Amino acid sequence: MSNTADHADSHSSLVVDNKKLLMWLFLGSDCMFFGTLISTHLIYRKLYPDSFEPTTLFSLELTSFSTFILLMSSFLMALAVSAMHKGQLKSFRRNTLGVIFFGLIFLGCQVYEFAHFVHEDLTLQTNTFGSTFYMMTGTHGVHVAIGIFWLICMYFYSHTGKMDAHESAVDVEVAGLYWHFVDIVWIVIFTAVYLVEFIPEI
Amino acid sequence: MSHTETEIPTPKTNPTQEPEVLKAERSNLGMLRPDHNKSVIIDWLTTVDHKKIGIMYGAIALFFLLVGGLEALIIRTQLAVPENDLISAQRYNQLFTMHGTTMIFLAVMPLNAAFFNFLVPLQIGARDVAFPRINSLSLWTFVAGAIVINFGWLLQALEVMGLFEAKGATAGMTDLVPAGGWFGYAPLTSTDFSGAGTDFWIMGLQILGIASLSASMNFIVTIINMRAPGMKMMRLPVFTWMTLVTSLLIVFAFPAITVALGQLMFDRVWNTNFFNVAGGGQPILWQHLFWIFGHPEVYILVLPAMGMISEVLPTFSKKPLFGYSIVVFSGAVIGFLGFAVWSHHMFTTGLGKVATAAFSLLTMAIAVPTGVKIFNWVGTLWGGRVRFSAPMIFALGFVWMFMMGGFSGIMHAAAPADAQQQDSYFVIAHFHYVIMGGIFLALVSGIYYWMPKVFGKMWVGNLSTWVAVLVVVGLNVTFFPMHFLGLLGMPRRTHTYLEGFGWETYNMVCTIGAYVLAVGILLLLVDMVRCIRKGTPAGNDPWNARTLEWSTTSPPQAYNFAKTPVIPARDALWEHKYGPENRRITYEEDHGHGVHMPSQSWMPLIASIGFIPLGLGMSMMQAGVPFMGYVAIFGLVVVCVGLALWALEGPGGYHLHPEEG
Amino acid sequence: MAHIEENPLPVAADTGPLNSETAKYHTFVNLALALAAITGVELVLVYIPFHPVFILSVLLALSLFKFIAVIAWFMHLIYDKLLLTLAFGTGMAIATGTFVALGFLMSPSNVDFEAITQF
Repeated sequence: MSNTADHADSHSSLVVDNKKLLMWLFLGSDCMFFGTLISTHLIYRKLYPDSFEPTTLFSLELTSFSTFILLMSSFLMALAVSAMHKGQLKSFRRNTLGVIFFGLIFLGCQVYEFAHFVHEDLTLQTNTFGSTFYMMTGTHGVHVAIGIFWLICMYFYSHTGKMDAHESAVDVEVAGLYWHFVDIVWIVIFTAVYLVEFIPEI
Repeated sequence: MSHTETEIPTPKTNPTQEPEVLKAERSNLGMLRPDHNKSVIIDWLTTVDHKKIGIMYGAIALFFLLVGGLEALIIRTQLAVPENDLISAQRYNQLFTMHGTTMIFLAVMPLNAAFFNFLVPLQIGARDVAFPRINSLSLWTFVAGAIVINFGWLLQALEVMGLFEAKGATAGMTDLVPAGGWFGYAPLTSTDFSGAGTDFWIMGLQILGIASLSASMNFIVTIINMRAPGMKMMRLPVFTWMTLVTSLLIVFAFPAITVALGQLMFDRVWNTNFFNVAGGGQPILWQHLFWIFGHPEVYILVLPAMGMISEVLPTFSKKPLFGYSIVVFSGAVIGFLGFAVWSHHMFTTGLGKVATAAFSLLTMAIAVPTGVKIFNWVGTLWGGRVRFSAPMIFALGFVWMFMMGGFSGIMHAAAPADAQQQDSYFVIAHFHYVIMGGIFLALVSGIYYWMPKVFGKMWVGNLSTWVAVLVVVGLNVTFFPMHFLGLLGMPRRTHTYLEGFGWETYNMVCTIGAYVLAVGILLLLVDMVRCIRKGTPAGNDPWNARTLEWSTTSPPQAYNFAKTPVIPARDALWEHKYGPENRRITYEEDHGHGVHMPSQSWMPLIASIGFIPLGLGMSMMQAGVPFMGYVAIFGLVVVCVGLALWALEGPGGYHLHPEEG
Repeated sequence: MAHIEENPLPVAADTGPLNSETAKYHTFVNLALALAAITGVELVLVYIPFHPVFILSVLLALSLFKFIAVIAWFMHLIYDKLLLTLAFGTGMAIATGTFVALGFLMSPSNVDFEAITQF
């Protein structure tokens, strides 16, 4: 996409790689995106505190497990990026497969959670809690799914022999940034949406 | 001035030699890249050249300016006399909704984008933007969004002829064109009160949002990373600075409307409770989310205009911009404060005393950096050798007219006064002074200033004077009486009014003014066509200008600069022409490497086209048209396939070897 | 791209010293352990009968730490240019400010429930 580094048109004022800057800008924008979704959820939650009791439905053990899984996938992603910088293709593949595996577990937990909630009669239409909860966590889930798809593509691309240390390391790093961002969004959701519900009298 | 022009290397390629030397290569997918294509249409469809993309943005934006203008004229004709029944109330609602939406998203924003595209790489001495193919995606996605949002007109025409009837979720609803205002206040946009028109509006705006977001991120990266050597941030032309601030505003403001539109779509398609009062939804939340986006949007529209004015005034005053750094800083402050004032659109909703006072004060605070800019523009004129060329006339018009819009804006900042003016014609007068008197005059100024660079043709004749007189007189005759109409209590968005309120004369005057304005705009188009067809060769620097874009050929070659310029000072070209010896622009030696050009590509176009079935499918599904769900899925698949092939084809590229003449 | 033929194999030579990557590896492992431990602490904390305000403050502090730690180390922000921090920080600041303001404007004391027919 970019024409950086080794072309005649790269200028000396180039301070950060184009793709990395683009991804960070996108993530800044995405902050606003998830900020709006989480705001909506918390506002309606505070407006109608008695309309719904999530503690009866939420399984903190399951959510903590999937939080842990996502944090570990982030760790493996960091290792994959590191491996790519060192040019260790095998290590990159191993770690990327780990990230994909953990990401799929997370998605599986979410699908199970959604199915369970719907079974317990919390749907998009039930009340404002249902609407905001499903849209917020669903959007996050879609982000995870896109990330998994992206990494699967990267994994297969690494077998074509077309990866080169310089350009591909940046590509992997950019995918990694996206994945870590999905992780930090979940860190916020885990605390602001799940954990606080279990504090008595709040 | 001409004696120094010879010192600037004028790049020339030998056109007869080019096709023989350059052949299209195959992409990583094995397909032939559409480079060096003999077909003009394929060349423009697949282009990644920021100049061609800019020209297309401009042409499409001008088309929609005419469409939006036509809608305005129908509105004004309807309101010319009391109890007029030229159009129905429903058609009136659709017209003012589409007038607002078209003018903001399909005329002014893309016209700004046209200038961003054409000028920014030239002003910073770059070969192209940072991501040429994303730039192409932005353009075509914008076109897709424009088609989706306007498609309702076709369906509405079929409905009027009795050939179409809405079924499904919006069965029985006859408004197939958006009719909820450009702000789409909930719950008027719910399926209970509006038909499939709202769905076209949601999907269209969502697609336009993708176009705007991708374009802005591209420009931020371009401005930060692609500057020529020596082009430090504080040496950037002010227009480039304002592009940067505008792009940041888009990046951080658009997600709010994306989420709000998504929630509204969920409400309409899956009966969720976000804005559904019966389910506990709060319609006021829509207003908040909309204006969190909507107020920065106002600055997204006006900051590029301020940038253009900051380029034109110094050139035609033969003076540097007065207080460059404070003008740049004020622009950034306006952008930042723009995120903290959204609730002044909602003073009458009962925000509470503290919130009302806070937003009132913050809104007044925005007048400070804006005032600073106006004083700096006046300071630029002071003691300068002012030339009243066409761009200058419109720029001066901007300063005056924009100030008038600003003054009524400060009146709105006072919450008690705003409570009286809310939803009256006073508000319409205010923002039309800002948009027509301000932004539009600046855009016309920009057109007169930069068209010789775009097409290499200099304006002939003095039609511009007539354009200026008709537009300025027309807009004042149209919008000034609206202040009085508002104070007399005439509400906005009513399709007709009764006799005896004292509104008749003012309305008639407004309508006459609107037609004068329309004649002025048509004359502008005539002048543009005449310039392109009969203009005399412009030369590199017809205005004796100050910034880097005037140092290259008119029109610029595909590669912009044959050799990378090294910038020693702010107002680079001016210093080069008249400054001391050590401030001349120098050029980097390329050692026979040539200029690296990005390859053209079909993929951005294919991915963008996918948005059309996606948007139309989602919308028409709501009107009960069969198989539309599959059409939407097909569209999504096309988008994904386009993006996947894009990633796999590789960036490609080739080298040009411009000969110096 | 043209340079693929020039270096067909992944090479590490131009990507900086290997030592820094090894140092990063240890940081990553430590951070991963810390993140897992904090998540465990959070899980236990909500069930302990401390004062709710105390629990809430600790939860906010812990998740803020996790948030910043992932950004700083996993996302390499402390190793990278300040510009990236600014790009992300601006978005984060505007989002946080909007969140706080919106929470205030839409707090239960500011909403007229009488006007809402149902619920």
